[in-house]
Amino acid sequence: MFYRERIPLLWVFVQAAVVVAWCFTDIETGPGAGVTLSNQPNGDRFKIEGRAIVPGVKTQDWVSTARILVEGEEYVGFVRTDGSFAVNDVPSGSYVVEIVTPNYRFEPVRVDITSKGKMRARLVNYIKTSEVIRQPYPLQVRANGPHTYFMKRETWGWTDFLMNPMVMMMVLPLLIIVLLPKVVNTNDPEMRKEMEQSMNMLNPNPELPDVSELMTKLFSGSKGSSKASSSSKGTRPAVKRR
Amino acid sequence: MEKLILLCLKCILLCSIVEAVFEDQVGKFDWRQQYVGKVRFAHFDTHMQSSKKVLLATENNVFASLNTRTGELLWRHVDMTGPEGNIDALLQYGQDAVLMVGNGRQLRSWDINVGGLNWEIVLDSGSFQSACLVGQQDFVKHVAVLKKTVISLHYLSNGHQKWVENLPESETVDYQAVYSGGNGEVYALGVVPHSHIAIVAYSLEDGEIIKQISVEAPWLSNIQASCAVIGQGMLTCVDSAAGSLYTLDLHEQSQMTQIPLQSLGLEVTPGFQPVLVSTQPNPARPPLSEFFLQLGPEHHLLLQLSDGQIVTLRDFKPAMLVAFATPGEKTVAAVMSPKNKTACSLNLFSAESGRRLLDTTLIFNLDPNGGKPEKLHVQAFLKKDDSVGYRVMVQTEDHMLTFIQQPGRVMWTRDEALSDVVTMEMVDLPLTGTQAELEGEFGKKADGLLSMLLKRLSSQVILLQAWIAHLWKMFYDARKPRSQVKNDVTIETLSRDEFNLQKMMVMVTASGKLFGIDSKTGSIVWRHYLDNIPSNAAFKLMVQRTTAHFPHPPQCTLLIKDKDTGLATLHVFNPIFGRKSHVTPPALPQPILQSLMLPLMDQDYAKVLLLVDDQYKVSAFPSTKNVLQQLQEMASSIFFYLVDSNQGRLSGYRLRTDLSTELIWEVVMPTEVQKIVSIKGKRPNEHVHSQGRVMGDRSVLYKYLNPNLLAVVTESTDLHQERSFIGILLIDGVTGRIIHEAVQRRTRGPVHVVHSENWVVYEYWSTKSRRNEFSVIELYEGMELYNSTVFSSLDRPHAPQVLQQSYIFPSSISAMEATLTEKGITSRHLLVGLPSGGILSLPKMFLDPRRPEIVTEQSREENLIPYAPELLIRTEWFINYNQTVSRVRGIYTAPSGLESTCLVVAYGLDIYQTRVYPSKQFDVLKDDYDYMLISSVLFALFFATMISKRLAEVKLLNRAWR
Repeated sequence: MFYRERIPLLWVFVQAAVVVAWCFTDIETGPGAGVTLSNQPNGDRFKIEGRAIVPGVKTQDWVSTARILVEGEEYVGFVRTDGSFAVNDVPSGSYVVEIVTPNYRFEPVRVDITSKGKMRARLVNYIKTSEVIRQPYPLQVRANGPHTYFMKRETWGWTDFLMNPMVMMMVLPLLIIVLLPKVVNTNDPEMRKEMEQSMNMLNPNPELPDVSELMTKLFSGSKGSSKASSSSKGTRPAVKRR
Repeated sequence: MEKLILLCLKCILLCSIVEAVFEDQVGKFDWRQQYVGKVRFAHFDTHMQSSKKVLLATENNVFASLNTRTGELLWRHVDMTGPEGNIDALLQYGQDAVLMVGNGRQLRSWDINVGGLNWEIVLDSGSFQSACLVGQQDFVKHVAVLKKTVISLHYLSNGHQKWVENLPESETVDYQAVYSGGNGEVYALGVVPHSHIAIVAYSLEDGEIIKQISVEAPWLSNIQASCAVIGQGMLTCVDSAAGSLYTLDLHEQSQMTQIPLQSLGLEVTPGFQPVLVSTQPNPARPPLSEFFLQLGPEHHLLLQLSDGQIVTLRDFKPAMLVAFATPGEKTVAAVMSPKNKTACSLNLFSAESGRRLLDTTLIFNLDPNGGKPEKLHVQAFLKKDDSVGYRVMVQTEDHMLTFIQQPGRVMWTRDEALSDVVTMEMVDLPLTGTQAELEGEFGKKADGLLSMLLKRLSSQVILLQAWIAHLWKMFYDARKPRSQVKNDVTIETLSRDEFNLQKMMVMVTASGKLFGIDSKTGSIVWRHYLDNIPSNAAFKLMVQRTTAHFPHPPQCTLLIKDKDTGLATLHVFNPIFGRKSHVTPPALPQPILQSLMLPLMDQDYAKVLLLVDDQYKVSAFPSTKNVLQQLQEMASSIFFYLVDSNQGRLSGYRLRTDLSTELIWEVVMPTEVQKIVSIKGKRPNEHVHSQGRVMGDRSVLYKYLNPNLLAVVTESTDLHQERSFIGILLIDGVTGRIIHEAVQRRTRGPVHVVHSENWVVYEYWSTKSRRNEFSVIELYEGMELYNSTVFSSLDRPHAPQVLQQSYIFPSSISAMEATLTEKGITSRHLLVGLPSGGILSLPKMFLDPRRPEIVTEQSREENLIPYAPELLIRTEWFINYNQTVSRVRGIYTAPSGLESTCLVVAYGLDIYQTRVYPSKQFDVLKDDYDYMLISSVLFALFFATMISKRLAEVKLLNRAWR
């Protein structure tokens, strides 16, 4: 279990180093994971900006319930009446920015801030933490629909019951057994001929033993050996009784 | 490909164990109460005549708007906790509310109708002093902010800075107030304590200093506490030592005029710092020349300043609270004065003349279990005939808000103390009177067969009567529309239901107010305010006697401990009625180190509470002879532990027969390296149903179920992200034996721990990967059980097998608890409070260190989910759907009478109560159980048999005739 954890981590580390060398001119923050979160008393503070959009809903209907959470509740921002937001006083580091409303779902975004105040946004990936899939900055977050909190109740309907495969399996053969003999007149000799023909069509290989024949053979065979089987049946309870 | 299969498998598993709320269950057995906290600023929205809003800014960093008709929240904004989110000032103009947040760091303007942010700006750092709205020619367009060294002016429309100026001589002068009277000037008022007042006047247009004066005032130390601007720019101060008022015209004079109070025939109550209360109804105009002067705790005066002369308009004695309000043009003053011991009366007075307005008396009834009134917020309005009507919001010491209408009708109350619940317990409700009578029958000694029979019969008759009455009530209620049926919860109607699903929630709040809340409806049954609670008190609530021991009343004990001194007091009360018990608790002269509830009971079925003081002496409560005797017998098997996190010492003690103690083990954590942050034992009322787990090959893996196990969490003192770590230590509390130790490097707290059965789950922040991680430790004895009948810490030679696994969690968490059921048969879930306000019910199944990486036949047989590094947050698992709970501080779980059901209360800023069914409702018919279908099928079958029987008979008859 540790082995499996370690390999991606190593990979992450290598990747992180590469990524940082590419995207950031200043490597003083250290490789990848080394972006500081620790408190810098005199460090510069920055502002994370963006806009939240709920398609098809007026902003005043949802902004009063919305909050911007940066890394849990470490920094909190509020949404303006036009849907834009800013979180002030954030020191340099890497943060997950979430827009939280009880009714709409937003994807979180990771925002990296260098010590010089350079910003970039990327997709959150907790497993490969340094994978960079760029997102626009200032953030443009679109709600992808309302939250689904509820399960659908299972409702009982006749159609559900009838469409149940078990019920179908039971009902259909019953129908065939009961109805077919009534619909098709088996006493009509022409009909019988037709049926035999169609049966032959179904059985392309006449060499193959017919199922019905096989069954009759089996049953007649069992009749022949019924004595033996009955005797064996008789002994079995005796054995048990012992 | 393999991954794909894994994913598929996972999906299938996920779908199969999904447990969520159904939409039709909303509000059926859950409720939420939203709070804001202790009110610091309150403003009634007066810009519209018909407005029914009140804006509240609270000490919990919450800014909210309430509906004044119902007391419900219209909207609420919860800021960061701590000083960063602290609300320093609230100013309101029109439909904008301007908030100063975080010691002058941020200036925000809110649209109070929508509840959205208009604008937000960051100011330069510097400690905030004061802020005011600045108007000119009846329009308010700016807001002035005074800080320690600078003054700045901002546009009200967009927050942009108009000008910013450094304050002259800010090293020596302590600028404390800013004032504007609507004449195009902004005054900054500063003081050099015990020397002089510095006044700087700035031009509104460009921030140029127009005037700068310094006035001798050797008696003044704090402007905000003892001065106010009154009338046409007259700075008025009060000096308690000399017993006189000083006035200074900000525009002209450079000398203060002294007006001795004695010349007005007044006197200050000794030891009281007099207070001036002025009002400025319109920020574009100067304040009124009438003001209140408070000379004693219950002595107010309405004074008028005209032409440098002070006139007494009215003397209010006794008067506890006063407040101004301006409906329309005229200003009125509301005065609260005590009427009798249980009520206060409020009256309106004209501010101009001091005359009492007719028909404005309002009675405010004091709650004997509440605090004293502390603040008055008046909403005055003009009636159709131009007379003044008003409503008041009274804020009491116990953080309660009461909104009253004339002549004393309480429109709503809000118990804001509940925004700060510290600890809680759920207590079973008592039986009803009739049930209790039945129970009582068994308790008494038998006195003859016949009388017993008679008694039984009579009680059965009573039961029948009660049942018929109940049926009648049901029938009667059914005819009424649903909204009218309001079953008022009173103590008399409270009784235990069949499945013990309704309980009494006893909540202890930080303010020292205790509440009894009915868990079914959320209505507050009783309140009890304890005064003289130290501000840094720690509380521990214990149930000494449950309701099971009729006729003895249930009994709860609250231990209140001052964190600094360690001195503690006990409050013993009845959890159902909230009344203080007749039992006198022992006085505790020594600081208390530890308290523990023993399973021992005295002859009255009260559990014994042991208190260990700093001399390591033990005292018992109750301490009757019976108890002491029992203690002496049991002493050798009573162990306890003490934690000293300052010295990093964890020590175990044993009780001696003479109630002294002896040290038996000690574990020391070097404090230079790490500190103990939390210690979690198991819950005493927890039951474990199965001793082991059946493996895929039909063997049994036995759990290591040590009831004395403690999980000790430590955090490194070095907070550098490369070197920080957290450690977890599993220690046997009796022997001090370290069962297991784990260290997570490059991680830091805060750590949340849940310890139950044979597992410990904890959550921490990984600084390496910048994510939250869960880790689970499970302990197993192995394939054989050493001693299956009883567990003894002293006799367990084999160390348990330890399994551990970690997972990524895509959110930080604010609280965590495990579900708890009556017998422990139901599978466990973890309830995780998230910062977003959701409470996630995470099946323990996902946190199982035996989750395999490669699926085998055996693991499938065992129903183990294949390992996946990331735990998912699915909104279907939120037990509180969209009823978010802000700042969850704790989650309390309690078993109900039904094995499938666990009662959950999440508390923080809000309180949310619900039930959860971790293994679905296996012992109850589902809510959507189709009674119609089953009964129609039954009837159909019944008739079918009848008809077929008839037919068969006919057929037989026919056959016989043939």
